[in-house]
Amino acid sequence: MNEAQVWLEKMRALELPGRVKIMNVCGGHERSITQAGLRGVLPANVELVPGPGCPVCVCPEEDIYQAIQLALVDKVILVAFGDMLRVPVNVPKGEIRSLVEAQAAGADVRPIASPTEARKIALDNPGKPVVFFAAGFETTTAPVAAAIAEGLSDNLSILLSGRLTWPAVAMLLDSGTPGFDALVAPGHVATIMGPEEWQFVVDRHHLPTAVAGFLPESLLAAFYSVLRQFVDGKHFLDNCYLEVAHPSGNPTAQRLLAKTLDVVDANWRGIGIIPNSGYALKPEYAAWDARRIYPDHADPKRRRIGEMPPGCDCAKVVLGKIYPNQCRLYGKACTPRNPVGPCMVSDEGACRIWWSSGVREAETATEQPDF
Amino acid sequence: MCLAIPMQIEAIEGYLARCQAKGVWRDVSLFMMQDEMPKVGDYVMVHVGYAIQTMTEAEARSSWELFDELLCETDVPPEHA
Ligand code: SF4
Repeated sequence: MNEAQVWLEKMRALELPGRVKIMNVCGGHERSITQAGLRGVLPANVELVPGPGCPVCVCPEEDIYQAIQLALVDKVILVAFGDMLRVPVNVPKGEIRSLVEAQAAGADVRPIASPTEARKIALDNPGKPVVFFAAGFETTTAPVAAAIAEGLSDNLSILLSGRLTWPAVAMLLDSGTPGFDALVAPGHVATIMGPEEWQFVVDRHHLPTAVAGFLPESLLAAFYSVLRQFVDGKHFLDNCYLEVAHPSGNPTAQRLLAKTLDVVDANWRGIGIIPNSGYALKPEYAAWDARRIYPDHADPKRRRIGEMPPGCDCAKVVLGKIYPNQCRLYGKACTPRNPVGPCMVSDEGACRIWWSSGVREAETATEQPDF
Repeated sequence: MCLAIPMQIEAIEGYLARCQAKGVWRDVSLFMMQDEMPKVGDYVMVHVGYAIQTMTEAEARSSWELFDELLCETDVPPEHA
């Protein structure tokens, strides 16, 4: 028996009292779960719910609009992680609604895969303003902080839409209808911030919790851990990704984050403000903060500001209130080639992950009754 | 974007490491590893061009296998791997 089978056998031997919902909050987890087909092999009454694990999906619509205007109006070189480029904003038909459309209209928009590329583009284009539009959770924001601390050239600034993962989970738990009975915590967020960040789920909310890695074996170990905790009624924070997510995380990364960025209340697209859930450049770094350098292009007359695109249920998908294929547009009007919402654009979006893994059947949009 | 991959360090110059994974080479920043600087030959988990932690060879190899499968099964290739 291989390791995965051992965990599955152990899970099947547990006497679950009823349906148990386990939430994950990481696009990487959802990808591994879906592509390894883990939903099909778990005991029938275990449900795996993808939760807030996609930073591109919750990046404020206003920020994307601003990035598009910086490229079009201020004529900066706008660099961003690739999956940000096709996320649409809400503008009237015929107007430019994404960074790729701005690029097609002649703006200098460039996809990058690393903050080091942003630094290089700025160095290679002295005298030209470069804006790095950076959305991401802690694991991605820490390298952005590292780049800031290493020193940015004068012509480079950052439009930061960094977000913290745990406050969204805390918001769901505080809502009284979290929609899950156990949590699998994100392995690479824990690698940076330390697994201990998730202790509050156990202490304050008495839910079984385990940090997981990205191999099926690590995820299965975490599922077994939380199910076992559930059955035993003894809850603790387990770490099934010890090899990489060390106790107290990566101290250098945390120091660089604390040195360059403040934690602030932040807006999540389609969801609203979540307290202490965002990163902003510290005032000492104002000279590299695109939010302070450039004019605010917000147009108060624009319709559906901050919302998901019309008909798109991404916000509910992100919060685990519905599954991707319960959206009416899933696989019909909305596919990876013609995405309607950010969850179908981003590699970490649950809609994109499900579609790419071959989930074709749409479900009728019955919302789960206990939400 | 969140897809981190393990790589092996082949050379280090300051905070810059030349890293390899399955015949693909990348420059990786070790700036976030200052408290526990890895050595040539070590394996590191790399996310958006930055090493975020060291790891064992065995762990790196099993991740590479998974990574292969992910790349094969995706209908639209990831914009940046
Ligand atoms: S299927 Fe498309 S429209 Fe529906 S929630 Fe997902 S991204 Fe939005």
